Amino acid sequence: MLVAWRYRKRENSFIQSFDPRAWVIFFGCFLFSTLTFWDVRFLLFFFGIALFSLFTSGVKWHEVRFAFLFILGVVFFFAILTFLTGRGGSEVYKEEHLIREFRASFSILGWTPVLKVTVERAFYAVSQLVRVSSMAVMTILIPYSLNPALYGITFKGLGLPDKFAYAMDLTMRFVPTFGRDFQLTMDAQRARGYELEKISGGLVAQVRKLGPIVVPVTIHAIISSEDIIDAMDLRAFGVGPRTWLDVLTYQFRDRVLIAFGVFVLVVSITLGVLGYGKFWVPEALLNLY
Amino acid sequence: MNSLPPPLVVDNLSFRYRDRQGAAIHNLSFTANAGEVLLIAGASGCGKTTLIRCINGLVPRSYKGEMTGKVLVFGEEVADWKLSQISQKIGTVLQDPERQILGTKVVNEVAFGLENLGMTREEIYSRVDEALNFLKISHLRNRETFSLSGGEKQKVALAGILAMRPSIVLLDEPLASLDPASAQDTLDAVRLLADQGLSILMVEHRVEDVLRIKPERVMFMSEGEIRYLGTVSGLSKVVNYREVKLPAEDIFERARADPAPVEIKVLPGVANSQDRQEALVRFENVAFGYESDLEILHGINLEIHRGDVVAVLGPNGAGKTTFVKHAIGLLRPKTGRVFVGGRDTHDSSVAEIAGMLGYVFQSPSHMLFAPTVREELAFGPANMKHSKQQIEQEVKEALKIVNLSEKENDPPLALSFGQQKRVSIAAILAMRSRILVMDEPTAGQDYQNYMNFMDSILQMPGFEAIIFITHDVDLAAIYANRVLMISDGRLIADGKPQDVLRDFDRLKANRIIPTSLLALNLKRLPETGRFMRAEALAHV
Repeated sequence: MLVAWRYRKRENSFIQSFDPRAWVIFFGCFLFSTLTFWDVRFLLFFFGIALFSLFTSGVKWHEVRFAFLFILGVVFFFAILTFLTGRGGSEVYKEEHLIREFRASFSILGWTPVLKVTVERAFYAVSQLVRVSSMAVMTILIPYSLNPALYGITFKGLGLPDKFAYAMDLTMRFVPTFGRDFQLTMDAQRARGYELEKISGGLVAQVRKLGPIVVPVTIHAIISSEDIIDAMDLRAFGVGPRTWLDVLTYQFRDRVLIAFGVFVLVVSITLGVLGYGKFWVPEALLNLY
Repeated sequence: MNSLPPPLVVDNLSFRYRDRQGAAIHNLSFTANAGEVLLIAGASGCGKTTLIRCINGLVPRSYKGEMTGKVLVFGEEVADWKLSQISQKIGTVLQDPERQILGTKVVNEVAFGLENLGMTREEIYSRVDEALNFLKISHLRNRETFSLSGGEKQKVALAGILAMRPSIVLLDEPLASLDPASAQDTLDAVRLLADQGLSILMVEHRVEDVLRIKPERVMFMSEGEIRYLGTVSGLSKVVNYREVKLPAEDIFERARADPAPVEIKVLPGVANSQDRQEALVRFENVAFGYESDLEILHGINLEIHRGDVVAVLGPNGAGKTTFVKHAIGLLRPKTGRVFVGGRDTHDSSVAEIAGMLGYVFQSPSHMLFAPTVREELAFGPANMKHSKQQIEQEVKEALKIVNLSEKENDPPLALSFGQQKRVSIAAILAMRSRILVMDEPTAGQDYQNYMNFMDSILQMPGFEAIIFITHDVDLAAIYANRVLMISDGRLIADGKPQDVLRDFDRLKANRIIPTSLLALNLKRLPETGRFMRAEALAHV
């Protein structure tokens, strides 16, 4: 099946021992705190939290293998791209200490590609890698750990209105249905000789060639949404404040987690305001070059 | 003592949708009583769904237009009621259970309406359990709704309505997507509700199926008006047996007075050629599973020849679609081999196989995308790298065969459902596929439409064999010359309809319920030698 829920109840999972609201709040604090820093020493603290969450989550490697390879592949790609071009990092450091310069033995239209390996670029790539990986690990864990059936009540519990919170539930409910519709359309068009993998041409041409998939899937979604709206209206959705059948209750450990998240966020912002945590390169390394 | 007013009175009701010309329903008047099942039949577009929407309040609240006349529930006019008020008196089950189930888990789904009414949790749990117990589906309580079968989904949807304790239940084609045994289960549940004193209005094409639960009355609608309202026995006297599927004995009696139906010429493209023996498709010991440890198909061996009209029968989840997907190359066997036109599908692309087999999916809206019918039809041949002149010729011929030449420049998505279905067939014809493969070809169409549709497909020149998946055993009996029965991923029967479909125990074990037409055909088999439609039997 194209769409399968990644969530399941896991034995001894650290994440799952918390109320989902508490984890979402902690996750939010974690993300904002991580974004405050470029200093790899600070970032390692967050990376440590992310690794701890991963190894105690009860998620098996074979379940997350593809997601991880994909995300880490993207993270590596961008880190290396920044390293090669030197762009992106120039906002956080002013001067560069050259380790070595590689000059290509050829020229293209008078331009000779040059690769400058500097201490700053190298450290920037490392910092970027640690920073983004920390956030990626924490984000990947969410669909594997939080019960989609509780998304609605989780957001309701975080103070969002009924309609918005229920929309979260509804999205979770219909993702597999739309996944199935997508697969049907894909099969129907493949049976007419359509080969998605052989799409070529410029960007506009490529998007246009997605029409045979995108149009039927969209039309189907629109037709379906009419029925879904009818079904909701017919059962009095939105007439007043609703009762949520599932109940979430904060335990002591949930309060501790939230307090810890908020504490980390406050400390991070304070450090940021005081000027700590900016891009850092070891002094000793700079002295070598 | 004053007697209670009837649960539902519809008085001189008319409605016209804001963006359409002509009224969808005109001057409808009737009463529905407590404890009765009122079956509402009629062709697509006759106004049945509009009537249901007028009763449950979606018209005029969600669907705007001009409405005159009254709907009274227990003597009170509902026009001024809020939807929340109506929903506690009138429950509606829609056609497609997939799209009306809103909860991720069964318990949440059944509780949805009660949550919206802001009831206490204790009250909600007690009503949910009561509804699940009543329908004997308590075991589903904590299941994920997505993993339920069609029949289970429909019962869960019904439980969600029952939990709100309505007095009137409206069902809009609740059987459309169910296999015969699931349909029977749903119908039994509906009968139970009526016997408990609820008033049931059921819109359904599958009249013969509903007749098994002995509806108290039948309403037949045509062009927005009531043409008949009365007992079941009176229905077959007033309606045309080509419009509504009546029990075979009734058709048999009525058709005797009419001229004999013209026999259709099946697959006229297949001449009495010599190469009939050469297999178009060959399965050799095919096994398949999506995941390594779970096998869905086991040891399938068969050949499809020119002139075969094959019906594939079997319960939901038996592997029918997986089997067909192997023939068209969308899936490749894990072990064993499939040959199409003599070539192993492992060595051919889906596009290459499309030249031999064309697959028409259940719903045309899953494949139609182009701005004009012509471009829609040119899509397949263009993917197969046919030349421009060739494509032009193919599109023209395909349009002619499905009788849509004048719609060449129309957007396919703006056509009627029946026309869209024909466009999807033409799309296959244009690819010059020699074998037509259809998944539930009659889904979403009324009886007269789908019989005409099947008649015309079987008479189309251009196809050498036809394979169709169906739940409708009568369709297999009438149109197929070969029936495959698949159960638990195995081919458990392969033969002529009269040989495969005579074993009622086997049919029932595979969730197929023998029909009156099947029984009549078996009774007359010594004289006829083959299965035929009831009106033809009347003239043997």
